[in-house]
Formats: sequence, structure tokens, C-alpha cells
Amino acid sequence: MADAAAAAPVPGEAASSSATVLDSLGEDITRIVTPVSTCMLLVVLLVSLLSSPSSPSPLSAAFTAAGGGGTGTGNGAGGDDITTALVTAVTFVVAVTAATFLLALLFYLRCTPCLRAYLGFSSLSVLLLLGGHVALLLLSRLRFPLDAVSFALLLPNAAAALALAALSPASVPIALHQAALVAIAVLTAFWFTLLPEWTTWALLVAMAAYDVAAVLLPGGPLRVLLELAIERNEEIPALVYEARPVDPRHGQNWRLWRDRQSGGELDANSTVEVIGEMLGTNLGANSAGNLGISATRSDEQVNLAADARNLRPGETSVANLSSDSSSSSAPVEVLPALPETRVSVAEMRVPLIQPQPVRSRDEDDDEDGIGLSSSGAIKLGLGDFIFYSVLVGRAAMYDYMTVYACYLAIIAGLGITLLLLAFYRKALPALPVSIALGVVFYVLTRTLLEAFLMQCSTNLLMF
Amino acid sequence: MTVAAGLGYALIALGPALSIFAGVVARKPFLVLTLLTSTLFWLISLIILSGIWRVFLPITSGAWWPYVILILTSVAFQEGIRLVFWRLYKKMEEMLDSFADRISKPRLCLTDKMLISLAGGLGHGVAHAVFFCLSLLTPAFGRATFYVERCSRMPFFLISAVIALGFLVIHTFSMIVAFNGYDERKRSDQVFAPVVHLIASVMTLMNLAPDGCVIGTPLLCVMSAVTLQYCWRMVWQRLSEHQHRQFNS
Repeated sequence: MADAAAAAPVPGEAASSSATVLDSLGEDITRIVTPVSTCMLLVVLLVSLLSSPSSPSPLSAAFTAAGGGGTGTGNGAGGDDITTALVTAVTFVVAVTAATFLLALLFYLRCTPCLRAYLGFSSLSVLLLLGGHVALLLLSRLRFPLDAVSFALLLPNAAAALALAALSPASVPIALHQAALVAIAVLTAFWFTLLPEWTTWALLVAMAAYDVAAVLLPGGPLRVLLELAIERNEEIPALVYEARPVDPRHGQNWRLWRDRQSGGELDANSTVEVIGEMLGTNLGANSAGNLGISATRSDEQVNLAADARNLRPGETSVANLSSDSSSSSAPVEVLPALPETRVSVAEMRVPLIQPQPVRSRDEDDDEDGIGLSSSGAIKLGLGDFIFYSVLVGRAAMYDYMTVYACYLAIIAGLGITLLLLAFYRKALPALPVSIALGVVFYVLTRTLLEAFLMQCSTNLLMF
Repeated sequence: MTVAAGLGYALIALGPALSIFAGVVARKPFLVLTLLTSTLFWLISLIILSGIWRVFLPITSGAWWPYVILILTSVAFQEGIRLVFWRLYKKMEEMLDSFADRISKPRLCLTDKMLISLAGGLGHGVAHAVFFCLSLLTPAFGRATFYVERCSRMPFFLISAVIALGFLVIHTFSMIVAFNGYDERKRSDQVFAPVVHLIASVMTLMNLAPDGCVIGTPLLCVMSAVTLQYCWRMVWQRLSEHQHRQFNS
């Protein structure tokens, strides 16, 4: 009987395979969470290999005591107290502010070659000096046999190659470009963790406060820089990590600040947009209904996209959308005007500007110049990478429990920032929420959680 | 006992979680986000619990009844929080469905919902394994090992890894059962998760007795096998009903 025969197949095998919303949602967030996590992981590994703990955690102290008496080491060096920490942090923030104003001035004077030269110089120096330092430490720690001549040959070459990869995304494979950016972030973050403990924490809190002030206050340097960039429709030359692969047809990645268009459909792949939509609908905000997104697609999908986009939402065929989203490895998508800016000291920190909606018909396929071109998905400045990793690296110097807690807190902060972005739709800094959550979780874990878990686990009591 | 041993213990505790992650969760980015959110959620529950219990610690008396109270309150709290987790999930499901309607894609199907509950449960299991076992493994990467008096037959790390593995399986799959129970309003499924959680936690109390872990740990593994089997049966049943209904309609 047909019924029995049809019922014979394993349930689930014959399940409908139409792609649901779940398949592709959240991909852009995952694509930014992965490199942030990788950077943090590398910094934690470096810190565990290369640094000695500043103050041993009760866990390792318990083990050494049980093992027959280690001597307890003192807590913190003499010079690391709160006042020096605060002074250092304030000095650093002042230096960053000055540097950002200088950057804004140079940008205002349209002195782009200066900015590019500065970018190149600083990334090269990070890779050469800090990279060399870390490499030497690793070589001595791991007792890796490498002679001085080979080292002197390898290091400058690697540094130059990575610096080049970091600065010109169009001329190298995207993976190398992203790896070079992560390498720069890892090295800088590791260097920051070498600072004394109180100084590091004071620095993190100060940078988070500076970030809020610089982006949200009317006179803030970041805001000034951003407004200049919007006015002129130009990109600020800086080191930015871009989550999506750069479309190789376009020479540069220009981000445009434009008003949101009315009409248009929702893009299923863009989680931020989904969130914006959901929050907008939930709060009954009518203006949020026009998200004005249009996705720009790469060449081979333009026709498909044009067809899909021509239909009204109610008629859009599912197959088109799902094949669009699944088949493309580099769909160039555009998010609504949800700016999140973060400029950092020395071009490492970059305005996190989310790309703007572009009318798909207007897409200018020419390479050069300031064009209406497509841009990628979420971009995060390297400074964010650096400070997240500094927090996690500093937590690693205490114990791994704090590392896991702070990692989750930072990722949660990143998610919350994206949510706020979708909700407020204006320039927001990326650092404060994550750093605040990270510090709170670090303190809570160190004071509360650790004692509780140690008590339970050493008695082999778990729940 | 060297990096190899440390890695071995870590993989005993987290190996199945890693395979579930690589095979199922990593394919859909939304499930990765669910996993991270769920892990954070259960971490917060652990922090709240430790906040409540901080004043009473450390328990220096050798008596066993403070530990009983500890376990009972913790399990009760976590099971209560599970309902909150369910509420959050329902809200998110509504939003996803309304979004799917907006862009004319199909709504969440049954397998999707089960996948989300799997990711949620995996988050719970991973939070447990990471904080109870993995964060204590750091000395295991060194040169020596450690034994506790009450369980002197195996290194401490090995015991805690096995217990963490058992709990990981229990948490992951009882979450699927629990969500299914809340969804279908089936009493038996709804009480399954708290009951299993309670029994498993009370079993670890056996570890307080000298050499109690010899009995307690295998029993814990039996509990995880029971959870697995129950979840398997329930999922099979539900999917075949669903399939049947779809075919007939």
C-alpha cells in the first residue's frame, strides 16, 4: 500500500528540505565572532606560554600546598599601585585623544598619503619589533633551534609580507589579509598584557570611558572624524577587520553614509537587520518598518537578485532567496545605516562603520575612485580586537576560569552592542559594553564563583 | 602529567560536545549563537548560586548535610531557571516566525526547534563541563598528577572528567526532552529533566564517602545512558508522528 510504503522511510530523512530562516540567519555575527575568538585564543595561548602569573590563584596555591609546601609569592610588585595605574591610564587616554585629533586634522587637510604612510609605518613596526620580541621569547621558551642568520632573514620578510597584506586587501587573498590583521592585534594585545596588573585594568576602564565620550559627545574626536568622512563620502584610511570577503572587483571598500531609503525588502542573511526588524515591530515603531535594505550581489547573481527583488515580498520565491544565500560564498551585502564607530589611537583602531544601503541598480562596477560601491558586512576596528584580547589575556594570568567567564562576557557584550545598534540606529562605541561586562564577570568570578566551584569540585560534587 | 594527559582529560570531558558542535551546531550559525547564549545564561545561574552560597563557604565541617543542602538548592534553582530559559526561547521563536512571515520563508519546522533545544542543552552541558572540570585542569598540563583521599584509585582529573562527561550528556539531552515537554504539555517529559538532574546530583553525593566514587561514577554513566535512551525514544516518536501527520494532511 502506498501509505505503508511511504511511512516506511525513516522519519526525518524525508523531511521537507526547504530552507528555513534558521539556515542562514546569524551568519554575519558568527563571521565576526570567529576572528574575535581566534584573536583571544591566540593571546591566551601566548600569555600562558610566556608569562608568569602575577598572583597565583587559590587553585594553584592549593595544589602546591598539597604537594608539600611551595612558598606563597607576594601579591604584586612594589610599583604597581592604584595611583600610578590611574596616572598611567589617564596619560594614555590623553595621548590617544591627541592622536585622534591629529588624525582628524590630517583627514581634514586631505592629506591621505600621510595617513597611509603612518598606517604602513605603524603596522610594520608592530610586526617587526613586537613580532620579533614575541618570536624571540617563544624560541627561548620552546627551545626551538634557529640560528641568528635565519632569524634575521625570516623576520623582516614575514613582517613586510604581513604588513603589505594588512594594508592592501585587494592584492592578497582575503584569508591572508584577515590573518595579518589578527596577527597585528594579537601582538599588540600581548604587549599590553605585559603591563602591571592594576595599570592594565585602569587602562581598559579608561579606554572604555574614552570611547563613550569620543563617540557620543558632540566635541568628541571620533564624532568629528566620522562627520568629516560622511560629508565627503570618503573612507578613513585605517586598519579594519572586515567580516565578509572583499569583492575583488572593487579596488577599495568605500563605505557610504547615506540616508536610509524607503521601501525595499528585508535581507534574510543579515542578522542585525532581523534584530532591528524584530525590535522595531515589537515596540511598534513605525519608522523602523522601512529598513530600506537592498542587497547588492556579485555579478553572477545580479540577474537572480534582480528577479527576486522585483517581486514584492509576498511573492518572492523561496527558492531564489535560499539559493542566493546558500550558493554564494561572497555575497556582497549591505546593512542598514547602523553606524558604530570606534576610532583608535594610531590607525589600529578604526571607525567601525557599518555599510550603507546602496541602490542595487546603481551599482558602479568600476574599480577606482570614490564610487558607489558595495561593501561588506560588519566591520570591527582592530582596537576592539586588541582591548578585548587584553582583558582576556589579563584574566588568563590569573586562572582559566576567569578566561572562560570573561570570554563569554565579551561575546555577550558584542552581541548587546549589535542589538543596541539595531535599536538606536546611530553611532555607538563598541568597547564599553564588552569591557564593562568583562570586568564585572572577572570580579564576580574571582570573588564568588571560584570559591564555590572549588568547594564543589574538590569534593567531587557536581550538579 | 604533561600536555598529552591534560589534553586527554579535556577531551574526555568535552569530546562528545566537540563532535556535536562540529557535526550539527557549526553548520547553522544561528545554533552557534544559541550555544553561546545558553552557555552565558547557565554561567550567570552559577554565579548567582555562588553569590547566594558565598557566605556559607568554605564548608570546613566534615559532615555531609551541608553538602546535601547545597546540592538540593542548586538543582532547584537551576531547574527554576530552565523555565525562564524556556520563556526566552518562546519569545525568540515568535520573533523568528514573524520575521519568516515577513520575508515569506517557511516558519521554523519541528527539526529546527529540536536543533535549537539541542544547542541550548549543549550550552548547559558545556557550561557545566567547562566550569566544573576544565577550569581545574590547568595543573594537569604540568608534570605531576593529583589524587584526592576520598577517591584514591584514579587521578582526580580523570574522575572529574568522567563526571563532567556524564553531566554533559544528561544536560544536553534532557533539555531536548524538557523543551518538548513544555511544547506539547506532556507531564512525563516536563518532570523528566528535573528528576534526572536531581538523581544525578544526589548520586555525586556518594563521592563524599571514602571510595564512594567507585559506585557513584558508574551509576552516573547509567543515568546518562537512560537520558540518552529516553530522548532518543521521544524524538523518534515525535518525528514519526509529525511525518505521518504531514503525509496524511
